[in-house]
Amino acid sequence: MSTLDFPPRMSFLTLENVAIGFGPENQRVNVLEDVNLSVRENEFVAVIGFSGAGKSTLVSLLAGLERPTAGKVTMAGEEVVRPGPRRGVMFQSYSLLPWLSVAGNIELAVKQVFPGKSKAEVKEHVERYIEMVHLTPAKDKKPHELSGGMRQRVSLARTLSMQPEVLLLDEPLSALDALTRAVLQDEILQIWEQEKKTVVLITNDVDEAILMADRIIPLTMGPRATLAEAFPVTLERPRDRRTLTDNPDYQHLKTEITSYLVRLNREARAARGGSIIQMPDVAPRDFTPPSKIRGLKWKNTA
Amino acid sequence: MEFKYKILKGIDISGLNFLSPVVRLATGEEPAKQLREIGRFIVVPIIAFLAFLWLWSVVAPKHKTKAGEVPTPAVVWDATGGIWRFHEYETQKDQAYQLTGGTRLDTLGKAKARMAELDALEARAKEQLAAAEASSKEKFDARVAPSKKAYDDAREASKDARRTRTEALKAEAAQLAGATPEQRETFLNHLRDADAAAEAEKKSLDGLKAAYADAQTVTFPETKDARRTVTVLAEERQFLVKYLDMLGDNSREAKVADAKAKAEEARSAFLNAGPDEDLYKLGSTVLKRQELLATTAASQYAKPWTLPKQIVRSLLCVFSGFLLASFIAIPIGILCGLSPTFMAATTPFVALFKPVSPLVWLPIIMIIVGGFMPDPENHWLIVLLGKVPFLGNYKIDPMFLSSAITVALCSLWATLVNTALGVGSVDKDHMNVARVLRLGFWSRLFKIVIPTALPLIFAGLRISLGVGWMVLVAAEILSTSEGIGKFVNDMYTNGSSQSFAQMFVVVFIVGFIGMALDRIMVVFQRLVSFETAGSTL
Repeated sequence: MSTLDFPPRMSFLTLENVAIGFGPENQRVNVLEDVNLSVRENEFVAVIGFSGAGKSTLVSLLAGLERPTAGKVTMAGEEVVRPGPRRGVMFQSYSLLPWLSVAGNIELAVKQVFPGKSKAEVKEHVERYIEMVHLTPAKDKKPHELSGGMRQRVSLARTLSMQPEVLLLDEPLSALDALTRAVLQDEILQIWEQEKKTVVLITNDVDEAILMADRIIPLTMGPRATLAEAFPVTLERPRDRRTLTDNPDYQHLKTEITSYLVRLNREARAARGGSIIQMPDVAPRDFTPPSKIRGLKWKNTA
Repeated sequence: MEFKYKILKGIDISGLNFLSPVVRLATGEEPAKQLREIGRFIVVPIIAFLAFLWLWSVVAPKHKTKAGEVPTPAVVWDATGGIWRFHEYETQKDQAYQLTGGTRLDTLGKAKARMAELDALEARAKEQLAAAEASSKEKFDARVAPSKKAYDDAREASKDARRTRTEALKAEAAQLAGATPEQRETFLNHLRDADAAAEAEKKSLDGLKAAYADAQTVTFPETKDARRTVTVLAEERQFLVKYLDMLGDNSREAKVADAKAKAEEARSAFLNAGPDEDLYKLGSTVLKRQELLATTAASQYAKPWTLPKQIVRSLLCVFSGFLLASFIAIPIGILCGLSPTFMAATTPFVALFKPVSPLVWLPIIMIIVGGFMPDPENHWLIVLLGKVPFLGNYKIDPMFLSSAITVALCSLWATLVNTALGVGSVDKDHMNVARVLRLGFWSRLFKIVIPTALPLIFAGLRISLGVGWMVLVAAEILSTSEGIGKFVNDMYTNGSSQSFAQMFVVVFIVGFIGMALDRIMVVFQRLVSFETAGSTL
């Protein structure tokens, strides 16, 4: 295999035999083990897994916030040793600075990443990204005055404003209600179409993954979780959520992924064997105050 | 409507939440609910305070002290007026001394007119007092007479009884010469009985005497009022005499004119002196007189310390200490929050020194400060502070510095601990953002760490200021540094019933200022709190 067979940056962001564990060395349990991933430039990859499988740890590794205990994380051929603005992270918890306004939060990132920009340029840059996420009317509001969806938009704008080469989205929409989530999914997709960036989306929502990604990679159950065989999503873009559900390919893919995940779950439970902890059989005590109704001593007498 | 919400927000930020139902009621929002709220948060506290005043005025006079009765609210209110009048008079004298030209003469004329008025007023007040005393004398006699008579009668009766008993016993003793031991024993018993009887009489006499004394303590409101009027007028007369003096012959203008004339005279004497006169002596006289003229022109009325001025000095002192504490505590607190190692190094000091009383710190600090300033009058720092425009009027001395440092030492701990806590509680996600952005140490500190810690830092500062204010009065009493504490100490040493009441005034003033300082800090605290306001009170 010669290098010419691959267009340049064919594997832009990679994980090679990566393992990470926590705790002292002699009793360390690996959260992730033997993880291999290769993301092409401008590819949209979704990693799907159950909660607690180590999805956020995977993002931390990709971002450089955590160093692997074994293996290597590389981006564009360089090893990732520390976090930086080339890999923009969007956290599930928004991570907005509550004392800064919407514009202030974005400005902080812009000023830091583009120190050469003049005041006017910074302002223009900030406003462009606020406009991109449709928040211009709220640009002077503080995060606590915004709804969850709006906050996540600010977070998206901040991440995009750094003009990262890779966008790491760590369950960005899982804290939002279904309607807001749908709107934001469309917005993120639309922006991705415009800006064409490499995206790694961490999610626990199969529909979301199919709607957005080029490739869906399941994460097996932890501990010692690893990435399983990928499901390529060949559905045509732009995908319309209204018609998508009627598409037989979509239905097929969804069934396939869902049944795979269900099987994973069952296997994991079987692997734990009979060690399932029996819950004690206790009923909660009744602390309701005495009833005011005459003749009834307690409101809820069992 | 917009305006209304602005007011409500202001009320919320300043923590004066009891006012918000008033605003809501004024704008016609749910009147029944607002009236209920007003009832609970405004009327109830007022009733409680009135009940307290009533209880106070009933209980206080029951306890007699060396400085007279414990003052009632009315007496304390009166004392407040006294303190204020003293301040007003002194301020007027101070101003009067510096007046010149037409203004001075105008003021002088007015003061003279007031003096003439005062003569009439005083005469009338004295008449009223005499009348009141005469009428109360009758009431007094009527009230006292029965108990006095009972006491006098009982005393006479007891005297007589004792005399009779003694004579009888003496007569019995005279016949004991040939008596048997048994008979002598009987006599001893008689003696004992007589002693017991005398003792019982003495006891009942004491009771009557106390009743008599009690009857005498009655006071009559009309005499009290009349006497107070006379006292107030006498005070004013005393002031006016001095005031007229300050405006007239003893005004700075008059003194300067006098000194100028003398200087001129000496100068012309020197210039026109004949050859046989002592030119050396005349020349030095000229210089001396000129110097005297300069000092006179710059002289000020030696205004005594009045309570308002002492309050300002106390506030200056507490703020100096508070600033000092903040400058020490905030940086150290930040270091503690950033570095667990530094925190470990600091913990023993915090634990050890935090509980130390200001009364221990103060003498130590006074000695240490004294060591730096063996000659405080000429120490560069004191001289420098004396030249600062506003501070210069408040006699910054080593005692002031010692009190301020003691305040700082006692109050810095709250800020230190809270700052460390605030800095230590930075959100991990925010730190991750900082790492992704590759913020440097200082950017992280100023853009993430300190903003996160600010609400807690201000919570600490608020506690510190409260502690500082409490410590200050104690420190001033002990160091006799001019201020509220000194005022209390003076009143305590003075020991009259008037000064006793003035100490009560101080209680309310100190409480009120402490409350105001706390409110100010609450406002700051809320302004820097980024999450929803109203979490703390």
